[in-house]
Amino acid sequence: MTRYLEIWLASARYSVTRTLMFRFDFFLWALVELFWMAVNLLLISVIYRHTDSVAGWNKYEMLLLVGTSLLVQRFLMGFFWSSLFEMGRNIRSGNFDFFLAQPGNVLFMASTRKLDPDGLMNSFVAMGVVAYAARQLGLQPSVLDISLYAVMILCGLIIHYSMLVITISLAFWLTSAQGIEGSYFTLAEFSRLPREAFKGVASIVFVWFLPVVIVSNAPARTLLRGFDPLWGLGLLAATLVWFSAAVIVFHRGLRRYTSASS
Amino acid sequence: MFAALNKYRQAFLIGLQSNLVYRANFAVRGFFSLFHLVVVFILWGAAYAHAPTIGGFSFGQTLTYFLVMLVMQFFVGAFNEDYQISEDIRNGLINQFLLKPINYFLYRFSIFVAARLVTGVLILLPLLVALPLLKDYLTLPAESWRFALVIPAMVFSALIQFSIAYCFGMLTFWFLDIQGFVILSMAIESLLGGQMFPLDLMPEWIYRTAQCLPFYYQTYFPTAILTGRISDLGQVLQGLGIQLAWVLVLLGINQLLWTRGLRRHTAVGG
Repeated sequence: MTRYLEIWLASARYSVTRTLMFRFDFFLWALVELFWMAVNLLLISVIYRHTDSVAGWNKYEMLLLVGTSLLVQRFLMGFFWSSLFEMGRNIRSGNFDFFLAQPGNVLFMASTRKLDPDGLMNSFVAMGVVAYAARQLGLQPSVLDISLYAVMILCGLIIHYSMLVITISLAFWLTSAQGIEGSYFTLAEFSRLPREAFKGVASIVFVWFLPVVIVSNAPARTLLRGFDPLWGLGLLAATLVWFSAAVIVFHRGLRRYTSASS
Repeated sequence: MFAALNKYRQAFLIGLQSNLVYRANFAVRGFFSLFHLVVVFILWGAAYAHAPTIGGFSFGQTLTYFLVMLVMQFFVGAFNEDYQISEDIRNGLINQFLLKPINYFLYRFSIFVAARLVTGVLILLPLLVALPLLKDYLTLPAESWRFALVIPAMVFSALIQFSIAYCFGMLTFWFLDIQGFVILSMAIESLLGGQMFPLDLMPEWIYRTAQCLPFYYQTYFPTAILTGRISDLGQVLQGLGIQLAWVLVLLGINQLLWTRGLRRHTAVGG
């Protein structure tokens, strides 16, 4: 365990050094992410210019939800995106051999190779959005509420990570399907919607089957309405199921890996 | 003249073939675009539950707007042309264009037209499948001039989209990696091109400012003509004028970046 922590710290150090070498890139990417977040917040502000409530959520409740969803996404971007994106490319090109030769868990080695400090920096902006919304709503969360919120964000990160690993692992089967990583962003869009907006089939698919709604709604509700054990357990179960699924799919795929380039 | 046209006809045909090879990729992309429509449906459906009209438009009209927007993106939008051009420059593949009597811009544009033909038809397939679910919501204004004027608007829009992608591709002469610029511009385009929400829902002064920028003419303008978000003919004609002006300006910038860039080009590789 400590060995893995050491490996991870070494990767983190390497990534920070790299960022200091390419400072312009760092600012550019930080700006890119900031802008995308702003676009999402603008959408909320435009909709609420014309209506007071979306599925029973007012403007600042919605802002808190979107902020939460962006927070989970920023962590994913900061900690795992670059490594996993490269994993897809390496599987297709045959360069994945490099990771197989390393003395450690393949999935761990492949998903922690690179960190993106720009994504991590923007997570503070996302936290700022959540804090601003909470302030506007006059919320006074207790230390326990905030701790639960943090644990739930961690669960959300694991779920998003698992979804991304599953999508990228598809490259083991579909070597020609480039750009499949982008489908993650499509699914992440659902995280910015309140649970109450989903009805009928949409509710079954996006609330129960795919974990895209629970990821953001569970932590946001904890801050807004206090901790609900049902939501907490649901989120925990989803985390376990999806992480296991990711590990299984990844290892199944690995068996098909031929190390040849396509 | 005909010999020249023939050159680009060949480029077009090659583009058609190479894009047909990737039809599965485009189909997957089209399929995921339908998910985006589901998000739109759920979000705006919930917003309309408390307001019969938003910005003077019904839920059906707003949904039609997003659907037409999607079709426009697949018919006239630039996908990864910027990266392709960037790769050509980085790998030294453009060297061969410098030695042959072929214009690189027109060569790339011919391939772009072929690619949009393939993706445009491909997006119609999942939409046809989804049509039984959508048809109760779809509503377009009936004026025939809209259908006539949307054609030139789409042609100009394609030219603007491609020119902007070409400009970003040209940046490779100066920068090693253009991905950051491209994704930044995607964010600006998706906002000011009306992909996130209809632009007329924004405060008046922002909407007026957006109308002066080229992004407005990328996808919003043709979509707004067709879906009735621009109400009168005069405004459409005025818009077409501004759109044409942007086409010319961007073509000029393309040419400038190309000649300036080539001065820096060291023709490595190829």
